[in-house]
Amino acid sequence: MTPERWHRVDEVLQAALDQEPASRAAFLASECSGDDDLWRETTSLIAAYDEAGEFLEVPAMAKDAKLIAGHDDLQLAGQEIGPYRIIQRIGGGGMGDIYLAQDTRLERLVALKILRAYLLSDDERVRRFQIEARAASALNHTNILTIYDVGESENSFFIAAEYVEGDTIRELISAGSLTFGEVLDVSIQLLTGLSAAHGAGIVHRDIKPENIMRRRDGLLKILDFGIAKLIEPSLDVPSNRTATDTGIMMGTVGYMSPEQVRGLPVDERTDVWSCGVVLYEMLTGRQPFRSATDADTLVAMLEREPEPLFGPQRLTDRVLSRIQAIVNRALSKDPIRRYQNAAEMGADLDQVRNELENDPPLGDVRSGTLVGELFHIATRARSKSYRRQWLFVAGAALLVLLFAGALLIKRPSLKRQLNTPTAEATKKLYLQMDETERLAFVAAQEQRISAMMGDRPVKLNDEALRVIKQDVDRYAARSEGLNKPGQDSLQTSYARAAPQIPTIARAFQARKIPIVVGIYLPMVESDYRPCFENQIGARGLFQFLPPTAARYGVKYSEMCDVDKVAPAAAHYLADRMAELGDDSQSMTLVLLSYNRGDEAVREALRQLRETDPNYERNFWTLFANRQKLDAGFQRESSGYVPYFFAAAIIGENPDAFDLHLPPLSTLAVGPN
Amino acid sequence: MMAVSVSRVTELLESWREGDPSALTRLTPLIYSELRRIAHRYTQREAQGHTLQTTALVNEAYLRLANQEKANWQDHRHFFAATAQVMRHILIDHARRRRYFKHGGDLQRVPLDDALQISEQRADELIALDEALSELRELDVRKHRVVEMRYFGGLSLAETATALSVSEMTVRRDWRAAKAWLYRRVNGES
Repeated sequence: MTPERWHRVDEVLQAALDQEPASRAAFLASECSGDDDLWRETTSLIAAYDEAGEFLEVPAMAKDAKLIAGHDDLQLAGQEIGPYRIIQRIGGGGMGDIYLAQDTRLERLVALKILRAYLLSDDERVRRFQIEARAASALNHTNILTIYDVGESENSFFIAAEYVEGDTIRELISAGSLTFGEVLDVSIQLLTGLSAAHGAGIVHRDIKPENIMRRRDGLLKILDFGIAKLIEPSLDVPSNRTATDTGIMMGTVGYMSPEQVRGLPVDERTDVWSCGVVLYEMLTGRQPFRSATDADTLVAMLEREPEPLFGPQRLTDRVLSRIQAIVNRALSKDPIRRYQNAAEMGADLDQVRNELENDPPLGDVRSGTLVGELFHIATRARSKSYRRQWLFVAGAALLVLLFAGALLIKRPSLKRQLNTPTAEATKKLYLQMDETERLAFVAAQEQRISAMMGDRPVKLNDEALRVIKQDVDRYAARSEGLNKPGQDSLQTSYARAAPQIPTIARAFQARKIPIVVGIYLPMVESDYRPCFENQIGARGLFQFLPPTAARYGVKYSEMCDVDKVAPAAAHYLADRMAELGDDSQSMTLVLLSYNRGDEAVREALRQLRETDPNYERNFWTLFANRQKLDAGFQRESSGYVPYFFAAAIIGENPDAFDLHLPPLSTLAVGPN
Repeated sequence: MMAVSVSRVTELLESWREGDPSALTRLTPLIYSELRRIAHRYTQREAQGHTLQTTALVNEAYLRLANQEKANWQDHRHFFAATAQVMRHILIDHARRRRYFKHGGDLQRVPLDDALQISEQRADELIALDEALSELRELDVRKHRVVEMRYFGGLSLAETATALSVSEMTVRRDWRAAKAWLYRRVNGES
């Protein structure tokens, strides 16, 4: 069959399908008279059409999403690829998966990276892959992951490398457990490995926390030397290309050096820059140039200086100011001003490490100091010099107050402010309270927040209270500077939320929804982050799935616009309140609906009603009975509503959490 | 953290639209990880009863990958088309592996785990469809694209029409003829 012939067949077919089914046979007979082939072809197609029914009507994604999602996409355990027998999958990403395998010839364990064939589908790329793989495998240094073998088997390319048990630096940063000494140690080993590679003429070009591993015994291994480049779609090196299309595609842009971005030639100093970024991140938990979009990140990196490591004021602690200087130099935008090679930077870091060993200690920083504490040490060191001055002023003021107080000021009733049993406890910071005091505080505050959500707060049982308290603990710990990526300190995240409050409040007041719901729901959803940033798809502010957003009049492109999303969220919640009720107990269900969907909540309530006709319709009952409900409910919802309360408790009691803001609900202005 | 260069996707879409087929090859890995992320959410949310439309998710992928201000409608449409092709690649790739590992080579092969996501039958179905679709392409490129976009990309009739710059009626006609032809082809006749 030729296309031309097919065109004729199609014509006739379409005309026939436009007819009533009963008349088709006759139509075809007359239309195709004289052309038997045509008649046979079209008749058989009509028959196929009739039989086909639902064939192809359900998109593949609906059935095969799991495949595309990549859950266990290659169940290869036990299979052999070349001389390697696969034991199990140990990791992987978009480009390919990593497996633990056994080299059947040498009986040793290897890490086998299997790359998707279609990513290397042109010969040129394959050739380059082989060249670079050969070069990378020639590197031999204890801080560089050894590549044993590169090859092809059936549909896949594989790379066999040293198998290392340990953590990536990314994992260590996320865990928030690094000490200052460890940071120095990691950096020094990193620079040692890089130095060796540079000596062999190889620049890594993609140094980032995901590419560095620390073995259980503390030995550092740099991964993906040159190999990362091999699986990038465009390895074109012509100098007129910009860095936006060479190399650093699947990684984050946050670690690229200015010269890489500009497409200028790279050399060892590029790796030095990246080490500077990694060092910054290990010390602070955040990336120096991270912004809302990639484009903004690149601009920040090219034009702005990163925020100082430990606060805006001058550093008075000697060790900290040394490390700041090192980071500054590594992050000099002009390569001339940077360390000219890895060894130089390593030497400076080594010096800092030696100073730490000094006896007597030179400051408050020790090798075992957690990086999260460094900020406070910096602040304390500064304030020591101001303290004397301050005390004098404070002392004088106090005298005046006491004098005036005796005559004029009545002592305000503390009970009016916080319903805690002990007047003493109200003056303490939450983090200074002991377990009993904390539980009492949380219990009282939960009642208060519930009252703000509607009337009739219900007294919570111990388990529910403890869950909320745990969330408060965890949330409050963020103020201690255990900055994990994506989790700034409380100060930062609440300060960032503050400007959104008036808009949100107006939208919520218009629908007569308790303001606290509007304020703290987005904190649970996303910490008010700029849109597009959260890895699990949160769009900032109120999370909606696109179809729901559309139903409430929000275009997809508007989902980051608080002026559009807040009213929609309020509308959605108002609808839920209309079905579920607007007292404080029902409001917990409304929150849950927002998270899990109203269907799921109705279903859960129905299940509960079946087992206990006297059940109470609120989240806490669902929570107490969660074993009976589905796995999804257990897994996801236990956290959501308690976390809302935690956010609200903190936001409404800023003094107890060292926040320098008024309670967020006070920022809600009345309707304009 | 799969952030991708902002202008790159738009550039590649541009090249691809201008007829450079290799642009798609280069685009593929960029969107592969995004599609996996989408599909992952699909599997999770579906279980929770939220309805998901593939287009909405693909939309999201596009917005993530291409800077919102720079994206224009044309690129958007082509992105959908590209995504459909990539999804097809991914599925067929899986299907072929599944089949490969079943019909072993010289080495002793351990029977595959029953928990494997794609059944043998589904693998065969997909491969047969893929082959039939490739044959259809020789006869009628547009019908082949329609099927690719609707079946692999999950696009509606209207969305396919916009993506291909034809009327919805045209897509409807293409779709029914292609369905008939493919059905006949995969069920053994040619």
